This record gives sequence, structure tokens and C-alpha cells, in this order.
Amino acid sequence: MSVTLQSTRFGEVEIPDEAVIDFPLGLIGLGGSRYTLLARSDDAAFVWLHSLDDPALALPLTNPWRFFDSYEVEIADDEAERLGIESDDDTAVYVTVRAAESLEDFSANLRAPILVNNGLGHQVINQAPDAPVRAPLFSTVNEEERAA
Amino acid sequence: MLIITRRPGEKIMLGDDTVIEVIEVSGSSVRIGIDAPRSLPVYREEIWRSVKEENAAAAQADPQVLPNDLPVSK
Repeated sequence: MSVTLQSTRFGEVEIPDEAVIDFPLGLIGLGGSRYTLLARSDDAAFVWLHSLDDPALALPLTNPWRFFDSYEVEIADDEAERLGIESDDDTAVYVTVRAAESLEDFSANLRAPILVNNGLGHQVINQAPDAPVRAPLFSTVNEEERAA
Repeated sequence: MLIITRRPGEKIMLGDDTVIEVIEVSGSSVRIGIDAPRSLPVYREEIWRSVKEENAAAAQADPQVLPNDLPVSK
């Protein structure tokens, strides 16, 4: 079984049932309850979290550790329990990406990561210190380039 | 806006399941306890607002501006 997504960005995409992610609380301020992840390839730097209810609603996400080596997500135990997250091992962590015309202006929201576990998704507030809402995505790369 | 005066230890009910309790008042700070059902997320307003804005900004992204091959540090 599958769901047909009519995306304003990507046209018609067939989504297998097992790729549907239920966000019982939606995304903060955006709502929506069913999403899926779209990627150009397995190792794509960006994946799209695409709503299955709104053909125009999609957000680019990335794996935070691809850009922020020391990134940490801290969630209170009772919050993790509320969300039904038992172990970090089988929970995928993504952060939303604010895209821009130039790479220097790209940023990621480290404060509100998206956790996906067992077909369920939640956007949570990260309690870890040093988790800005708008962390420049390419500053580390730039520093390395300057150092090289 | 409904405005209610409460003392420390007193509570407010939002419906049958959500309890807001004034724990302590100290100078210009108020400690508040909230007991809400699982389906009702609780946020500090300024964090909720900034995340909402960031989500809305992220949702504006055009696939054309996302580079396919990126300089990745690892």
C-alpha cells in the first residue's frame, strides 16, 4: 500500500505506507500530522520533511552531526517518556535548515530537533546549552578552508 | 484576557486535565508548575515563537538553492 503525494515542489511521488511518519503533535507552529522524508540519494546532505496533508508544506532537514560534531540533544526523562522514546539508538535526529541564496546564510535550528522513532515524529525543545535556533551551517567548513 | 489573582499553592484548571499551580513568588519571578496531558505540549512562549518562526522560514526553501554536493567536514 502507498500514498500518493502531490508535491508543489517535486510533483507526484508515491510514498509507501511504511515511510509515513506520524507527528501526533505536528510541527511547532505548522501543524500537520503525517509527513514523510524525501531525499535525492542515501547520502544526500539534505532531506525534505514533506507533509502528506499539505502539498506545499516541506522543510529541508539535515543530520546535525554532519555539520556540528559536538552537537548534543538533551531531553528530560519525563519528556522522553511522554514521547515514547526509550533509547537513543533507534531514534533518528534531524534539524531543520533555513536555506538562503548564499551558503554563508544557511542555518540550522539546533534548539528544536526533530526526532523520528518507529514511524513517530516529534519536534522537541533541546535542553542542552549552546543550541541556538539559528546556527550557521557552513561556518565550520569556512574555518577549515581558511586554515587550509 | 482573563486575569485571575492567585497566591502560592493555589491552582488554576484549564478544562478538566490541565493544572497550573503558582509554586513561589520571589521578587519579579514567579515559579509555575504545570500538569498537562501528553497531548498538550508546554513551551516557554519566547522559545515557541522563535521555533515557529524558524519552521516557517525553513518551509520557504526552494529546492533549487539547496546544493546537492556539499563541502562536508568529514
